[in-house]
Amino acid sequence: MLKRTRALTALMAAGALFVAACGGDDSSSTDESAAVETTTATEETTAETTGESVVETTTAETTPMATEWAVDTSLCVDPAAADAPIEGTLKIGSAMPLTGGAAAAAFAPVKDGFEAYIQYANEKGLLGDVTLEVAIEDDQYNAELTPGAVNKLIDDGVSIFGGIIGSPNNAAVRDTLNDNCIPQLAALTGSPAWGDVENYPWTTGQLAPYTVESKVYAQKIAELYPDGANVALFHVNNEFGQVYVDAFNEIAADYGITIVAEETIEATDQNPPTAQINNIAGAKPDVIMAVPLGAQCISFLTEVANAKAANAGWEPATFLTNTCASALILTLAGEAADGLYTTGNLVDVNDPASLEIPSVKEYVDYMASLDKSAIVTTAGAGWNTAETIVAILAQAQASEAGLTRASIINAARNFTYTPMLAAPGVTFKMSGAEDPFLAESLVVRQYDVASATFTDIGELITEWES
Amino acid sequence: MKSLITIRQGSAANWALRLAVTAIVVLVVLWVPRQGGGLITTTIEALTLMSAAMALNLVLGYAGQISIGHSAFLGVGAYTTGIMVSRWGLSPWVTFPVAFVIAFVVGVIVSFPASRIKGVYLALVTLALGLVFPYLLTWKKLAWLTGGGAGLPNADSEVATTGFDIGLAKKGKMQFFEVFGWDPFGDLRKPEAKAAFWYWIALVVAVVVYVVCRGIVKSRVGRSLVAIRDNETAAAVMGVDLVRTKALVFGVSAGLCALPGCVIAIKTGGVSPEGILSLTVRGAITFLIVMVIGGAGSLWGPVLGALLYTFVTDKTGEWADDAAIPGVLRPIFSWAQIPPADGMFAILLIVLMFVAPHGIAGTWRQYSHRVVRIVPRPAGAVGSAPTAAPSGPH
Repeated sequence: MLKRTRALTALMAAGALFVAACGGDDSSSTDESAAVETTTATEETTAETTGESVVETTTAETTPMATEWAVDTSLCVDPAAADAPIEGTLKIGSAMPLTGGAAAAAFAPVKDGFEAYIQYANEKGLLGDVTLEVAIEDDQYNAELTPGAVNKLIDDGVSIFGGIIGSPNNAAVRDTLNDNCIPQLAALTGSPAWGDVENYPWTTGQLAPYTVESKVYAQKIAELYPDGANVALFHVNNEFGQVYVDAFNEIAADYGITIVAEETIEATDQNPPTAQINNIAGAKPDVIMAVPLGAQCISFLTEVANAKAANAGWEPATFLTNTCASALILTLAGEAADGLYTTGNLVDVNDPASLEIPSVKEYVDYMASLDKSAIVTTAGAGWNTAETIVAILAQAQASEAGLTRASIINAARNFTYTPMLAAPGVTFKMSGAEDPFLAESLVVRQYDVASATFTDIGELITEWES
Repeated sequence: MKSLITIRQGSAANWALRLAVTAIVVLVVLWVPRQGGGLITTTIEALTLMSAAMALNLVLGYAGQISIGHSAFLGVGAYTTGIMVSRWGLSPWVTFPVAFVIAFVVGVIVSFPASRIKGVYLALVTLALGLVFPYLLTWKKLAWLTGGGAGLPNADSEVATTGFDIGLAKKGKMQFFEVFGWDPFGDLRKPEAKAAFWYWIALVVAVVVYVVCRGIVKSRVGRSLVAIRDNETAAAVMGVDLVRTKALVFGVSAGLCALPGCVIAIKTGGVSPEGILSLTVRGAITFLIVMVIGGAGSLWGPVLGALLYTFVTDKTGEWADDAAIPGVLRPIFSWAQIPPADGMFAILLIVLMFVAPHGIAGTWRQYSHRVVRIVPRPAGAVGSAPTAAPSGPH
C-alpha cells in the first residue's frame, strides 16, 4: 500500500516535472517584454569614439549633466562606498528570466542585445580606460529569486544594476539597492512606481510608463473616433493590467470614450480567452483596448479574429499594449495581428527603410557580425537599454566627481540622450523629481502582417512628457 | 549482516557520536551566516522549502494522505501576513500564530473529503484546492481583502512588537533588530546583515516545524498516522478515530506550512500569486518532489531533500550556457538549452522509485547499519526503560 502510494506519487510528480520542464511556466509573465520596442528611425549619427574624451565619443549626443538634482548619500548605509571612484572594470549586474518556459523565450534576445552593446561599447572604448563587464543572473521571473540573484551579484563586486526585468522583481530588490546606494538603472518595466524619486532615488525605469501609454491610446482613439467611441477593455488581472486600466479610465470621459465592457484573464491562464472575447463581442465596441500578458497576446488576437468572423459587420479597432508588439509574438499571431494598433519609441528594425539611418544600420551590421541577425528585432530593447546605461556612465565619468555610484545616479537623473534606435523626435530625458521618467513620448503605429512592419499613425505624441 | 562498527546505546562512543553530529550541525548553522549573501539567500530558500516539505510529510509521508494543495496553505500564511501588516499595520511577528490558526482551520476543512476519499481522488481534490487558490486571491470580489490581481502592497512593518525593539529608519523600515537590548545583526539595510537576519528567522521557523513534527511523530498520534497509512481499516478496528486524526494532521500540517509563507511574505515585501510562485501548484509539486527525494515518512527526509533540491537548482542555474558546465559533465548536459535541474530531478525521481523508494533518508537508514550499528540497551539493563512487573498471584 505504502509502496504503491509512493510510486504513484512519484510518477505523478515526475510527470508534472516533465511538463513543467518542457512546457510553459505557469507563472511566466512576459509583460515587460522589452523585446516590444521595435521601431522606426533615429536621425542621430553615430559619433566616432576616441576612447579619450568619453563624452564626445558616445554613439549619440548627450547633454552635460545639470547640477539641479543630486542624491543625498548621507542616508546610505556606507556613504563612502557611494562616493568611491570606480576604476579599471565596472561590473553591471542584472537579473533576467533566462529560464522558465515562455518568459525565457521572450527575454533571451533582450539579454543578447544587452550583452552585445556592452561588447560594442568596450570595443569602441566608450568609457576610456574603464572596461565594462556584464553579469546576468537568472531569476526565472520569480520575485522570490531576484533578491538571491542580486545578493550574489553584490558579493561578486557588481557596481551597478541595470535592465532587471519585471515589476515585482525590481520591487523585490529596490529597498536593498536604495538603502545601499547602488544604482538600479533602467528597470525594464513601465511601472509608474519607478518615478518615486523622493523615496527611491537610486531606481530608474527604462520603458515609457504604462499610464502614459494608456493615455496615448485614449488620445488616438479620440482622434480616430471624433464623435466618441465605445471601448471594451481586456486586461490581465494583475498590477500590470490594472495600471493601464486605471489610467485609461481616468481620462476616458475627457476623450468622449465610453467603456462598454471589461473582461480579464488571470496571469497564469494560458487558455484562449474565448468566453471573454465573446462577451466583448456581445457589446459590439468600436475599439478593444487590450493588455494581455506574454503568450496571451497571441491567443487574444486569435480569439478576436474568430469573434470578428463570427459577428459579420463587427470590425473593432484593436489597441494592444506595446509589450505584445514584438516580432516573436506578432509572427506567431499571424493574420490575426493585421491592423492592430500599438505604440513605440524605437525604430522598427524590420522596416528596410530604417536601414538608411546610419546608426540603425550600424546596429544591424554589428549584430550580424555576432551572428545574431535572427534576433536583431527582439534584441533591440536590450541593446537600447545597455546603450542608455553606458551613456549615463559616460556622463558620470565626465562629471567633476568622476565615475562613482553617486555620480552615476546623478547623471541618470539629469540626463538627455537620443539613442541609436530612437524613433524620430524621441529623446530620452530625466530631470530630477520634475521628470522622473526617461521616455514619455510615444508614436502610435499600425501593424501590417504582409510586410511584418509598422506604419506610424500620426505624429509623435508628446503631450504626456514631463 | 555484520557492521563495521557496533556501538552500544548509551555508551561513551554513542554519546561521542551524537556530540560529533550535533557539533557538525551547529558549526554549519553558525558558518552559513558568515558567508556571502548569495549562499545565505540560497540557504533561506532551502529552509522555507524544508519547512513546507516537513509539513507535507506529516500528511503524506506519515498519514499516507496524498495532498497536492499545500501551496494553498503556504499562501494562506503569506496573505495573512500581507493583509495584517499592509492593511492593518500590525507587526509581522504577531501574524505567525494567526496564520497558523487560520491555516489550521482551512486544513481541518480540507480533511473532511479526506475522510471519505482516498488515493488519486484525494489527490485530485487537493490539486483542485491548489489550482483554485491563486484564482481566489485575484478574484475582484475579494480585492478589498487580498488586493486582487495587483496583490498587496509592500508589507514592511512599521510597528514594534512587545519585547523587541525595532528601530525605525526612513520610511519606517526595520533597521535594527534588538532582542531585549541585544543587537546581533547591526544595520539591517546592509545586504549581508539583512540576509543573515532572514537566515535566522527562516532557521527558527524550520526548527519549530521540525520539533512539532517530531513531537507528533513520536507520540501516540504519530503511531495512529502510521497505522492509517498502512491500513486504514485495521487502524479503525484498533480504535483509531480516523476522522479526528485526519482532521488533526491536516490542520497541523496546514498550520505549519503557513509559517514559511509568512517568512516569504515579509522578506519579499509584497504578496501576489505572480510574485510568490510557491503559492501556486508549482510550489505544491516542488514540496512533493523534495519530500519524496529526501524520503517520505522520515523526519530528516524533507530536510535532506530541500537542501539537495535548492543547491542543485542553484548550482545548475547557469548550465544553459555550455561554458558554465563542468568539463566532465558537459557532454551530458550541453544539449540542454535551459538549466537541467527540473529534468534532472524528474529522472532522479523515477530512478529512486526503482532503486531507493524510501528516498535518501530511507536508503541511509537501510544501509547505514552496514557501517555503524547502534545496539539498543537490553531490557532490564541499568539505565534501560523499566519493564512491567510480572503478573500472577503473590
